[in-house]
Order: sequence, then structure tokens, then C-alpha cells
Amino acid sequence: MDSHDTLLLQAALVLYSLGLLDSLYSVVKQRRKLFKPALYAFVLGASLHLLSLAFSSVSAGRLPVQTFQQLSSMASFFMTAVFLAVYARFKYESLAVFAIPPVFLLALVGALGGTSPDASRPMLQWWISIHATLFLLGYAALFLTCVAGVMYLIQERELKSKRPRAFYYRLPPLGKLDEIGYIALAAAFVLVTLGLIAASVWAFAKWGASWLVDPTIALAFLTWGIAFAMVIGRLAAGWRGRRGAYFSIAGFACAALTWVVNSGAHTFMGQ
Amino acid sequence: MSIQLVGMSHKTAPVEVRERLALSEEGASRLARQLTRSGAIDEAVVLSTCNRVEFVASGRPNMLRGEVFRCIGDLLRGTRIEEAAFYSYDERGAVRHVFRVASSLDSMVVGEPQILGQVRDAYRRAKDAGTLGGPLDRLLADALRVARRVRNETEIGRMAVSVSYVAVELARKIFGDLEGLSVLLIGAGEMAESAARHLRGAGTSHLYVSNRTFANAVALADSFGAEPVRFERLLELLQRVDIVVSSTGSPGFILSKRTAQGVIASRRNKPIFLVDIAVPRDIDPDINAVDNMFVYDIDDLQQVAAANIKHRQHEADIAERIVDDEVRRILQRLKARRAAPEIVLLNRRLEAIRRAELERYGSKLRDLSADQRQAVEALTRGIINKIAHHPIREAKRSASDPRSRITFEDFRRIFGLD
Repeated sequence: MDSHDTLLLQAALVLYSLGLLDSLYSVVKQRRKLFKPALYAFVLGASLHLLSLAFSSVSAGRLPVQTFQQLSSMASFFMTAVFLAVYARFKYESLAVFAIPPVFLLALVGALGGTSPDASRPMLQWWISIHATLFLLGYAALFLTCVAGVMYLIQERELKSKRPRAFYYRLPPLGKLDEIGYIALAAAFVLVTLGLIAASVWAFAKWGASWLVDPTIALAFLTWGIAFAMVIGRLAAGWRGRRGAYFSIAGFACAALTWVVNSGAHTFMGQ
Repeated sequence: MSIQLVGMSHKTAPVEVRERLALSEEGASRLARQLTRSGAIDEAVVLSTCNRVEFVASGRPNMLRGEVFRCIGDLLRGTRIEEAAFYSYDERGAVRHVFRVASSLDSMVVGEPQILGQVRDAYRRAKDAGTLGGPLDRLLADALRVARRVRNETEIGRMAVSVSYVAVELARKIFGDLEGLSVLLIGAGEMAESAARHLRGAGTSHLYVSNRTFANAVALADSFGAEPVRFERLLELLQRVDIVVSSTGSPGFILSKRTAQGVIASRRNKPIFLVDIAVPRDIDPDINAVDNMFVYDIDDLQQVAAANIKHRQHEADIAERIVDDEVRRILQRLKARRAAPEIVLLNRRLEAIRRAELERYGSKLRDLSADQRQAVEALTRGIINKIAHHPIREAKRSASDPRSRITFEDFRRIFGLD
């Protein structure tokens, strides 16, 4: 059974890389029609990826959020899913060029490590698995905010320079990038909030009132704090444009760092 | 039957010449009817725009040019147009020219969008006038299809090149869609008004017009269906509108960087696009450094227009390849059609033989049931269709293949079609 999920993940990887090559070609050549195969590759890749995750869930009898590799694999699946959702709504092919390379790398990490969990390790409780899954989805949304931020900065530079070059013709309008970033941020905030509630319930049940000192929970709070600060900066302080983009990128970088530390903490706690 | 084209465009004749042959819609239809009445021309369509007059026809080879000169002779009332102002094409050249015109590859501003509509109108009018209905009809339908293909598969139409179009395109790059945005026009002037008109056409919802002399603002606003605003209220308006087109005669800046920073703060960083068409300039160019404020003066706009033209040339090359590809396909079809009379004759002849034979055996077949009679019909029809299949294919092939040694005469003689 274990080999099924690995094979499926490898197939998904191949599809992601083919899709990425095709989207690069279609964006550089500005042939929107040529993007179709890439889109199919991403959809099919994501489907196989989901199947791979389902296989490892069934074979291990738990959500595949136990090891760093599994977390990477699931995060990259969510990132593809979020990208596809945004593409379905906005239809900007250039998003793929920026969003898919990290997806590919994370899926690669997932595939290299093998997806079978260490059987000697006790599995994470139900609540903490849900917490991890919600957080991963939240990270995927934050990732897209960051991608939109990077693209915003490039397009903004083109517009301010007044000398349209390659990117000017190929990247989406600033207003749309701002909108994508904002929608993704709002989604991320909701998901991270729900994930935090799940983690709190679990910790409260386990440790009662002293749960705040737990490193996992502290880091979860930190991530939530970052997302909250991003939302507040946007809504209350009117941070948008260049400053908003910088903030999205910095926010995602902090959250990603938290994640790496956090998944380390999960591993530590499991032992 | 051949496809022919005679025309005059911005490439062969200056406006002083072109305007003498400017045709009204009614005039164009009348000319087309006049052309088809001669007998040498079967179908005709006349396209008349401010940049070109084109006569496209199908009929006896090499007849169109003479017919056109005869017809426009009356129109010009004694004055003459140099023959050199007119180009003529036939067959491949004519098909290619029609496709290139419809795809906006022959336009003064390559990729400008109006020409497709003008070709469509000319096509519709010719249909109404009854001067179409054969191969030319299909060719024009193809031209519209090719133009749409070029538009869909290349970026040719998306790159604005006129300065006022560039302003609209930049606004799109800044805001995304322009629906619901509001525009403020300060001052007056042809270019500023044109930019405002384009912005309005692109879907912006509200237009304000301001001028130091309020009466002028009111007059201009009336012609646009816009809202006039007093010059003193400018600052208040800057906090609300999304796009500003400025073109006043002011000797100094009317918007300084300091003021602009206040404006963007009170807008809570909502982006604003400032188009400064005035010379000397109205808007401090340093404002462009402020986050969420974008300032373009006339030189900047021209710079973008130049970049667009360069970008568009590459797209035009791709479009030319699409056109060539389509011309090849359509020519093959047109040539294959040339075998049509022979094919009709062959089918008719075989059918006559079939009927005659059935009649000859009529008395012996009288006792057949309805089912059996139907079977005999199907059987005999099947035989002649199978016999005709290969000769028809060969006739079509040799019609479109210049190296073919079989002539239509051979074909007719072999099957006894004369």
C-alpha cells in the first residue's frame, strides 16, 4: 500500500513540472491558448496528489500530517488547490509562473522523504491533526498573498519606471493583484483562527490551564498574530500598494519560519 | 470565375485624394449594384472608410479594374484620380489583401479595432443590396473569421498606440477593470478630451470637468454629459476620483508633491492615476515617487506608445503567419470549387442513366413490394455514388493542383458530359 502514495505523488510531481514548463512558455510567448495543457496538468496533478494523500491516510489510519515530509506534501497540495481556485476566478496565467515553483519544491521534499510514517511513533491526536490541516490551508492562502505581493512589486516598478518591458505586458493589473492578495489574506486569517481554536481545545484538554506554555501553541499563536497584524494593517491603517506588498511578503516569511520551527516541535513532542 | 480586388488606401493615396472618393453607405451599395449589373461581375462588395476604398468582386477574370473605373468616372464628375493611386489584386493576392485588411494588418495604426466592424458592416450592406451569394460571400465570412482568429491568438489588438488610448491602457494596468471608476478632466484641449472620451468608452462611471473659467467647464461638461466642477473644489475632488486628466494653460504646477501626499493620505492609499497632458506641465512629476500615485506626462505616454508599437510588430508577424495559413486553405477550397460545374454534370448524367435503366425494366419490377422497390433504389444509387466518388475527388484535386495534367476537357470527354 505504501508504494501507491509514493507513486501517485511522483506522477503528480511530473505533471506539476510539465505544467510549469508549459505555463512558462505560454506566458513568455503571450499565447493564452497554450496555457490550456498546463491547466489540465495542474488539475490532474492535484487530483493524483489528493489521491496520494488519501492513500497514506487510509494506510496509516491517520491524517498525513505526522512527518515533515507529509506536511510538505500536504502543504504543496493545498497551495496548488488555492492557486487553481484563484485562477478559476481571475484567469491570470502568469500566477502559475510564480506560484508553482515552490509547489513543485515542496512536493519534491515530500516525495524524497517517502510518505510512510515511522510506525514506532505515536500518532498525533485527532484535534491536533485538524489543527495542522487547517494551518496548512491557511499557510497556502498566505503563500498566495505573498505571490500576489511579489508580482505587485514587479508590476508596480514597471509602471513607475514608465518604460514598459517584458513584465508589463505579461503580469496582471495592480488592482487585481491587490484584490487577490486581500482575498487570500482574509481566507488565511479565517483558517488560521479556526486552526488555533482546534489547537487550543486540544491543549486545554491535555494540560488544563497551563497550556499556554506549550511551544506548539505558542508558535500557533505567533502565526495567528502575524495574520492578524496583516489584516489590521490593511483594514485599519490602509496599508496597500507597495507597503502592503512588502508586508505580505514579510508576513508570509515569518509564518513560513514559524511553520518550519513548529513542525520541528511537533516531531519533538511526538517522541 | 475569379476573385478580384481594386482599391486605394492611405498607403497609395494621401487624404486629399481619398476624400474625393469618400462614399456614403448608400453610395457604396449603389456602386456594388452598378458593378454587378454589367454582367462581367457576379458579386461585389465595396468597403469605404476614411483610410481606404476597396472594391472586391468575383466574376470574369481581369474585368474588375475596368468596371470600377467606368463606375467611379460618373462619381468623380470630371475630376480624375491618378491610376497609380489604385492597386489591383486577383486570386491569392486579393484573398490575402482582404484578410489583412479585416485583421487590421493593413491599417495605419496596425491592430486598431474599428476596421473589423467596418468590414462587417460592408458585408452586411452588400448582402442587403443583394450583391453577394457565391464564393465571395463565403470569402468575406472567412475574412471576418480570420480577423477574429488573429484577435484571439495574438496580442495585436490589446496594445494601444495612440496617446489617448495609452492612457486608457495604463489605467487598466493600474486598476484592472475601469467599471465604476470616476474621472476628473481639468482644463480642455483636443488630446485631453479624447483621452476623457476613451476613458468614458472604457466603462468609467462618472466624469467631472473642471476649468478656471467655470462657464467653460459647464460648456464642455454639457458636450460630454459630465458634471462641471468649480476650480476651487479641485482638492476635495482629488480625494474621490480615480483618474485625473490634466490639461490647463497654467505656467506652473497646479498639484505639488506636498499637496499630493496629503491627498493620498486622506484617500487612505486608494491608488490614483494622474495623466498630465499639459505643456508646461500641471503636475509635479516627483509625485510619481509617492506610493499608490502614478503620474504620466505627455512624453511618458509617447514613450509607452512607442514601446507598444515595437511590441506589436512582433505580434503583427505572428498575425501575418496566421493570415498566410488561412489564405492557403481558402485558395485550395476556391480552386476545388472550380470543378463544380463538371461535378454537377457528372452527377446529373449518372442519375439520368440510372433513371433510364430503371424505367427500361419498369414492367419487370412492377410486382416488387414497397420494401423491395426501396432496396432497388438504394442499390442503384449506391452504385452510381461509388462510381462517381473517385472521379469527383480527382477533379477537385486537379483543380487545386497546378501540376495536374488532367484538364476539365479530358474529364468531360471521358464521361461524355458535353
